[in-house]
Amino acid sequence: MKKFMYYLRVWGIMSKNSFLMVASQKMVFLIFLIGKLIRFGLFAVFLIFLLKGSQSLAGYTVNQIIFFFLTFNLIDIIAQFLFREVYRFRPQIISGSFDLTLARPTNALFRSLMGGADIIDLVTIPPIIFAMVYVGAALNPSIIHVSLFIILLVNGFLIATAFHIAVLALGIITLEIDHTIMIYRDLVNMGRFPVDIYREPLRGILTYLIPVGLMVTVPAKALMGLASARGVILSFGVVAAAVFLSLKFWKLALRKYTSASS
Amino acid sequence: MKKYWSVFKISFVQEFVYKANFIMWRVRNVFQIFIVFFLWDSIFADPGRELFGYNRAQILTYVFGIIVVKAFVLSARAVDVAGEIADGRLTNYLLKPIGYFKYWLTRDLSSKALNFAFATVEVGILYFILRPPLFLQVSPIYVFAFLVAVALAILIFFHLLFITGLVPFWYPEAAWGAQFLFVWVFTEFLSGATFPLDILPIAIQKGLYLTPFPYLVFFPIQVYLGKLGAIEIVKGLGIMAAWIVFLRFTTNWLWHKGLRVYRAEGR
Repeated sequence: MKKFMYYLRVWGIMSKNSFLMVASQKMVFLIFLIGKLIRFGLFAVFLIFLLKGSQSLAGYTVNQIIFFFLTFNLIDIIAQFLFREVYRFRPQIISGSFDLTLARPTNALFRSLMGGADIIDLVTIPPIIFAMVYVGAALNPSIIHVSLFIILLVNGFLIATAFHIAVLALGIITLEIDHTIMIYRDLVNMGRFPVDIYREPLRGILTYLIPVGLMVTVPAKALMGLASARGVILSFGVVAAAVFLSLKFWKLALRKYTSASS
Repeated sequence: MKKYWSVFKISFVQEFVYKANFIMWRVRNVFQIFIVFFLWDSIFADPGRELFGYNRAQILTYVFGIIVVKAFVLSARAVDVAGEIADGRLTNYLLKPIGYFKYWLTRDLSSKALNFAFATVEVGILYFILRPPLFLQVSPIYVFAFLVAVALAILIFFHLLFITGLVPFWYPEAAWGAQFLFVWVFTEFLSGATFPLDILPIAIQKGLYLTPFPYLVFFPIQVYLGKLGAIEIVKGLGIMAAWIVFLRFTTNWLWHKGLRVYRAEGR
């Protein structure tokens, strides 16, 4: 508990510094915030008109599809809010300044992963939660379904965390982060819609290999009362495996770090 | 002309220096197409379905058209203009006997040549994997009009990108932000590169047509699909030409204004 509080305090200080940096460039902050809101709005408008015309998608109603979309956005934005530092990791490895992170008394993974929370994403989280509650309520879920949804949402977030750890580890080994993280984003973007719309073998890959389906589709389905027991159990199994493997990979990568250029 | 041909060749070869970067960029394009393809594939699962004025073959051709038209129109090296102005590298070019505008247009064309070559291969592979029913335009007039529309779209996008790249003359720290807003938000959605714009209500479509965005991807593909009559095509191409003239003047005006406030910071 003491250790947790210590890291919470460190995270608070790092986040405050990160926020102050963004706040010092108000124009940039405003452009990105407006951009993100417009992008979200435009995609939502597209989705609404698309479903208005087609009535349903892969057997799901308009509200259900919008709820999938919101669930995807919530997990994606929370991950971006907390793990923005991953996008800035490459220069540290290239320049060798990662040595300084290793020399500090805080955990190197914690610092590399959560060293710079993004206030722009933080601002967009409350409206999404509000929209989820609004759309989710229209689906008439039971208390059990809501509880299961929240638990599976946490699972989905843990899978996203494992992905980010793996990207960091891969960055140490290959010196490549920018494209890897963007490919991760592209893959996760496939979760904007329920994985049921994809054909096999892509659907299988998105469920088991790159578990975007377990990250987004299964939690949302749980709220709708459509999740199978197999999907729920699988979600827990995959989370445990993903977190375990990503941490192992991180440790392996640390052993490969050459401290070049430092 | 000879020096720009040299720029074209050097720029083309340069793309191969960062092979991983280029391949990853193409891989990302394919992933993005997967989402759009399967979304429409699911909506048009019934082969006889007609929706938003499209049948299954036409909508899936639209998706494949996005890959080709994006490779031509939206792949551009001129995204680097903003960075060069922001960190003062522009000075190097001002001292050389080369037109900055023509230099970047040449580099853009070089990048498009390479991207198109890759896009052609990708379309072939995706066609082989997905086996969609595609609409083949057999009228040479429509194909010609499509090619003209793509050529004009290239010029429109280049000017828009260049204008966005000039923002750092006044706000150096906003270089990346302005491009994010313009390239990743407006162009991606309002050009038809994510979905065909005619699923939107008529009033919104009319509003969009007052901007240059629909002419970048949506209009050329509509021409290819034969969804527009001769008068509409001629009118559309005329509007595109008018946009190019307007954007050319705006670019020149901003460029000269910008040079007056340029301080070569960072050099």
